[in-house]
Amino acid sequence: MCNACGFPARAGHWTDAGLDSPHDRLRARFRRAQVLARVLRPYGLTAHDNGVTDGVILSTLAGASAIVTDPAQLWPTVERLAGRAFDPLAG
Amino acid sequence: MTDNRLPLAILGGWLGAGKTTWLRHQLHAGLQAHVIVNEAAEVAVDDALLSQAHGVTVLAGGCACCSGRDDLVAALHSLADQRTAGAAIPEVILETSGLADPAAIITAIADDPILVRHFRLTDTTVLVDAVNGAAELAAGSMAIQQIRAASALILTKTDAAPPTATARLAATLAVLNPLASLSASVAGVAVPLPALTAAPLPLAQTTRAVTAVTLPIPRGADWASLSLWLSALLHAHGDRLIRLKGVVQTPGGRLLIQTVRQTVQPPEILPTDHGTDDVLAVIGESPDVAALQASLARFLA
Repeated sequence: MCNACGFPARAGHWTDAGLDSPHDRLRARFRRAQVLARVLRPYGLTAHDNGVTDGVILSTLAGASAIVTDPAQLWPTVERLAGRAFDPLAG
Repeated sequence: MTDNRLPLAILGGWLGAGKTTWLRHQLHAGLQAHVIVNEAAEVAVDDALLSQAHGVTVLAGGCACCSGRDDLVAALHSLADQRTAGAAIPEVILETSGLADPAAIITAIADDPILVRHFRLTDTTVLVDAVNGAAELAAGSMAIQQIRAASALILTKTDAAPPTATARLAATLAVLNPLASLSASVAGVAVPLPALTAAPLPLAQTTRAVTAVTLPIPRGADWASLSLWLSALLHAHGDRLIRLKGVVQTPGGRLLIQTVRQTVQPPEILPTDHGTDDVLAVIGESPDVAALQASLARFLA
């Protein structure tokens, strides 16, 4: 939210639904980063959420990195860093 | 938390399916709503028939899902402004043109940062003409897309079609969109569906088979991982998953999730009740339950 006008900068992402308290939201962030780190390992990426940066930090093993603040941009960013499409159904 | 957004229902169906007739009867029967009528042609006629509506906005000369999309978004912005300024608008019904794809309209609303805060999408009702419906399904893919995007399907003019043909059409609709409720109506008045079992119509080869599967969600699955998985699934395979619907547990309560292709409708918290929880109904081009389950399990592990 913009602290000057009080208007949210963008519509809340649907994945935020059901997370009403700050506690639940923070827990969900850490949990998502943990799951992401695991599912992105085969793609040569790491994911880390330090709880301070506004978003999850994705990095390649070669050192390129990106901070994803908008959940809608997560998978496009993953694919850009990994250089290939992410397929959750591929074992 | 109360939801103060304005309910918006979409009424769709092929040309001549009886959309205006159906809506006129609902208005006559006491429905209070502002009606937005979209006509693909330049000349609007339907608005003259809807005198009982709370208010009417006519969008002529362009279908709201493609060439007339900006007009639709502008009309909805204007309604949102009027309501903010104090106008009492009970509900909005968008009667689409016969050529519109309701899924494209849902996406247009979901993608607009202002409209998503002002409107709450309720039902997508699609009418299917019992007399001509079979021919429309055989002829074109848009009639099929409309049916797939529906949350409620209504067969119209069933008095003018033989009950066996109506039963066959009803069976076909159940194959095309097993999640939608199915009913029948004549001139807007609900009538029973014929109590016959019939085989669905053979659909054109160009129509890829759409099947519905239910995916059990493991007990205790956490919403953070589940939503991450769902976002990955929709990103990678959203174009092949036509609809997804389910109720899942979140820290905030039971959450209803509905998607139309890649668009997720704003999830709603449901009251605590005994419903069918922890399953996700998936309609798509032959979804593979085993692969979906294995993929979900990898995210939940």
